[in-house]
Amino acid sequence: MKRNSDKINFILGLILLIIVIIPALIGLVWTPYDPEAMSSSSKLAGVSLKHLMGCDNFGRDVLSRIMSGSSITLIIAFGTVALGTVVGTVLGALAGFLGGAFDEVLMRINDVFLAFPSILLAMVMVALLGSGKYQVMLALGIAFIPSYARIVRGEFIRIKNLDYVKSARLAGAGNLRIIFVHILPNIKTVLLSSVMIGFNNAVLAEAGLSFLGIGVQPPDASLGRMLSEAQAYFFTRPTLALFPGIVIVMMILGFSLMSKEIR
Amino acid sequence: MKYVIKKLLSCAITLLIVALLVFVAFSIIPGDPALSRLGTSATESSLAALREQMGLNRPLPVRFVEWLLAALKGDFGTSYSYNIPVSSMIMSKIPITVTMMIMSLFFMLIISIPLGVYASYKEGTWIDRVIQIINQVIMAVPPFFSGILITLIFGVTFRFFRVGGFVAPGVDMGRFLSYMIFPSLSIALPKSAMILNLLYGSLNSEKTKDYIRTAYSRGNSSKAVFFGHMLKNAAMPVITFLGMVIADMIAGSIIIEQVFGIPGLGRILLTSIQNRDYPVVEAIIVMIAAVVLVSNLLVDFLYRLVDPRVEKK
Amino acid sequence: MDTLLKVEDLNIEFTDHKTPETVVYDFDLVLNEGDIVGLVGESGSGKSMSALAIAGLLSRHDMNKSGSIIFEGRELLNCPRSDLRELQGDKICMVFQEPMTSLDPVKRIGWQVEEGLRIHEKDLPDEEYKARAIAALKDVELDDAERVYNSYPHELSGGMRQRVMIAAAIVGHPRLLICDEPTTALDVSVQAQIVALLKKINKEKKTAILFISHDLSLVSQLCERVLVMKNGYIVESGTTDEIFRHPTHEYTRKLIGAIPNCDEMAIDMVGDDTVARVNDLTVIYRKNGREFRAVDKVSFEIHDKEILGLVGESGSGKSTIAKAMLGIEKKHTGTVEHMSEYPQMIFQDPYGSLNPSKTIGFILEEPLRNLRKDISKQERKEKVIEALKLVGLPEDFIKRKPSELSGGQKQRVCIAQTLILKPKLIIADEPVSALDVTIQQEILNLMLQLHEELDVSILFISHDLRVVYKMCDRIIVLKDGRIVEEGRPEDIYHDPKEEYTSMLLRSAGLIAKGDNQ
Repeated sequence: MKRNSDKINFILGLILLIIVIIPALIGLVWTPYDPEAMSSSSKLAGVSLKHLMGCDNFGRDVLSRIMSGSSITLIIAFGTVALGTVVGTVLGALAGFLGGAFDEVLMRINDVFLAFPSILLAMVMVALLGSGKYQVMLALGIAFIPSYARIVRGEFIRIKNLDYVKSARLAGAGNLRIIFVHILPNIKTVLLSSVMIGFNNAVLAEAGLSFLGIGVQPPDASLGRMLSEAQAYFFTRPTLALFPGIVIVMMILGFSLMSKEIR
Repeated sequence: MKYVIKKLLSCAITLLIVALLVFVAFSIIPGDPALSRLGTSATESSLAALREQMGLNRPLPVRFVEWLLAALKGDFGTSYSYNIPVSSMIMSKIPITVTMMIMSLFFMLIISIPLGVYASYKEGTWIDRVIQIINQVIMAVPPFFSGILITLIFGVTFRFFRVGGFVAPGVDMGRFLSYMIFPSLSIALPKSAMILNLLYGSLNSEKTKDYIRTAYSRGNSSKAVFFGHMLKNAAMPVITFLGMVIADMIAGSIIIEQVFGIPGLGRILLTSIQNRDYPVVEAIIVMIAAVVLVSNLLVDFLYRLVDPRVEKK
Repeated sequence: MDTLLKVEDLNIEFTDHKTPETVVYDFDLVLNEGDIVGLVGESGSGKSMSALAIAGLLSRHDMNKSGSIIFEGRELLNCPRSDLRELQGDKICMVFQEPMTSLDPVKRIGWQVEEGLRIHEKDLPDEEYKARAIAALKDVELDDAERVYNSYPHELSGGMRQRVMIAAAIVGHPRLLICDEPTTALDVSVQAQIVALLKKINKEKKTAILFISHDLSLVSQLCERVLVMKNGYIVESGTTDEIFRHPTHEYTRKLIGAIPNCDEMAIDMVGDDTVARVNDLTVIYRKNGREFRAVDKVSFEIHDKEILGLVGESGSGKSTIAKAMLGIEKKHTGTVEHMSEYPQMIFQDPYGSLNPSKTIGFILEEPLRNLRKDISKQERKEKVIEALKLVGLPEDFIKRKPSELSGGQKQRVCIAQTLILKPKLIIADEPVSALDVTIQQEILNLMLQLHEELDVSILFISHDLRVVYKMCDRIIVLKDGRIVEEGRPEDIYHDPKEEYTSMLLRSAGLIAKGDNQ
């Protein structure tokens, strides 16, 4: 049953994301200024027509940095979710469908991973792999696998016992056909919703790691890092923290509003 | 009783696996701990001597068992960077982080429960909608940004506290606690929004359940139905969620410490990761895992206390 | 006799849609002290709405109610809730359909039985409450009242929970007891006990009962008077006898027609060949370390052109037998031999037996695609259309998704799917029990017709002896995983060998009605 308010949520989420994603996409090929270019004359410049969001302590244009930073954030989120979903779905599907010892072992390992908040897990991974955008992508992707595996496994177990799967067996469908034709298409809404939540968490985690200084490394721009650098200028230029922060909130809000509708 | 023992045992096994994974992971990654401790200028013979002293030449399983046995006695080895026992580094920081956790848990509950109940009571009215919208936005605020916003509002604008200030609990307990208020609030706020959301949904779904209709059919007032029947049932999903929230709060506290400049566990973990000071990282990770597991265990017991149906699962 | 309840011109209207929707029109009812009246209708007929309105439990803001409901001379409709509360749980009590969900899962039974008393008779000593609750639990024939008193709902069976609901309703000696489908969720034998219990309460305590059900034959066993509702209107009302003898409305006739008459029997034309043989079939489940024999050394065969009925209550092992026969349940001992290819199965719940993400066409083609690789795409399509025609559905259904179909249509699709491979044997596991009474009839007729046209044997599994009785050439009665009786329907009907069988017959209303006439 879809209520009207859910549709509004979806549209609002979409609008928020479009507002954030379009500048990020443009940021891949063009930014008003070079996001790394420092200029002593525009140090901590305020909001003006020349610099729509002002400049930071090195005189770098904040808008340009936000554009390129959010494109990096979104790329990392995409890679993370792709890795987590693909590996998690395969493992979860196998565990749910096969059951038995394989399921037992996999879920035990899963429990171990789920005992950690995902950002902490990512911190451990970063400690092992080093920091940088690809490392963050890999670290977060691995950290996300268990939660996807668990969701997919649960759905597989639920659907595997439904009558229509039994009926498909009587209709001569083999294991692979049951998995790919009869079960997977029916978990797509659940999966889609968790992909949205995955984006939400990935943005959050990446920003968190970069804020702590162990995520995306300079010269790459990053929203989280911009926030942490802005802390030193709370009294002089609070907008330095507000702009990137608001962009992060918009991304997360957008993804979570959209996932609400899909559920 | 049998259940408790079983649970404790499985908890211990999980923790053992965590310890094993962490230890192995940090032992097989490239890099020479002896080298990082002595620096590149060290001579080959002094490096060899240190490796011998640190036991790095012996097989991995032996080292793990030794590390584990020592850890059980509270000895997590020596920090590479500071050359002091890891346990003494950590011990002095635990009260700070724990205080922050307890305070944020407290804030979270006193913010979310009354508001959740109130919003559900007012379901469908404009006040409910306003609460929902604000809540939705707050849920999307990452803890570090909520920390920054709170600093901007209460520290920079209203000057309720000195930005970046901190007083150790040993120096002045009262001022220490007052410096903990805003960081705790920053951790609690996004989590309260989540709990509020959960409680609200749970209350609304309980409202339409058959047993509520039964309760009304016996002549209960709305208040009696709410406090006598609905609240306890609606609390179940919230209780299950608490374990996860506590885990998330630990992660949140690590970040919040950076925002408010608090020298707690998170600070040490972070610098140790950056310095590749693995004994410290290992110790903190295993400790956090233990806290998460134990809090999950407590939540589980609490759940069993409240819900008589659990045996079935 | 004194008039207890008088309902006049009750209209109920929902206003939350753009066009207001009336769900009850001009509902009239007079109930005297000690009366026992039935209210019959399908889901959506407005019977539950009317009952909830009388009990004062319809108080949504998006709803208009007009007319009058007078109870003991007091107007209840649109009166303040505080006035209603004085009566609810004291003089007017309700028993609901779902005993599984109608009790608070986290409160002890004793607490819930006492609740009404504690609200309406305040400040009695605790022992008094407890004594009366225990007495009420004993009244509803819960022998182990003390233990039940200290139990939680999940520790009791469905039948016990419904007894608890009734105990909680009668503990304060109400004048009016409203029962909304109180037996629908229960097994037939338990159903009969609950009906007997309500009769007893009515007789001994002079409690008036308004009994709501979709099951006319059940109502006829209990009630003196009957109201029949359809689409919000009362279409027929009168004494039970009158209505059975001279039904005036076509819908009532249809309902009465759905109750089997023992004179009309399936025509016997069973063949001699065997299509399937089951030998010493045993299925053992392990639960909490204990062995549980779901099926215990069951042997039988099914002949061609035969409809064999497999009857039993939930837990008797009938579905397990079906699953074992088709290889869905693999952990069995004993043998199952199929003399024909592709035996198929129709499942109980049509809502769960069609893949929700596929079209009807895809679903129907599935068996051909997997098992008949020799058939071309074009032929497949033709066969699908042919199967749809057989079950009385239009061609354009191949493009639809299951969610666009009604329950009856879905079950037709399921039947079509089993027919598409032209099997000799179809196993039907409670194929109609999830459907409305009139739809049930249509599906059963369709199955009979297809059975005759296509010479297909059917193993018909059901808990409902009435349905099996009408359909089957031979009946096997199962209890606790064993066959307790086997024979032709008329033999079993006239001369049941086992007490269990006659109990099933009684609770299905087959003997009771025969005795009346």
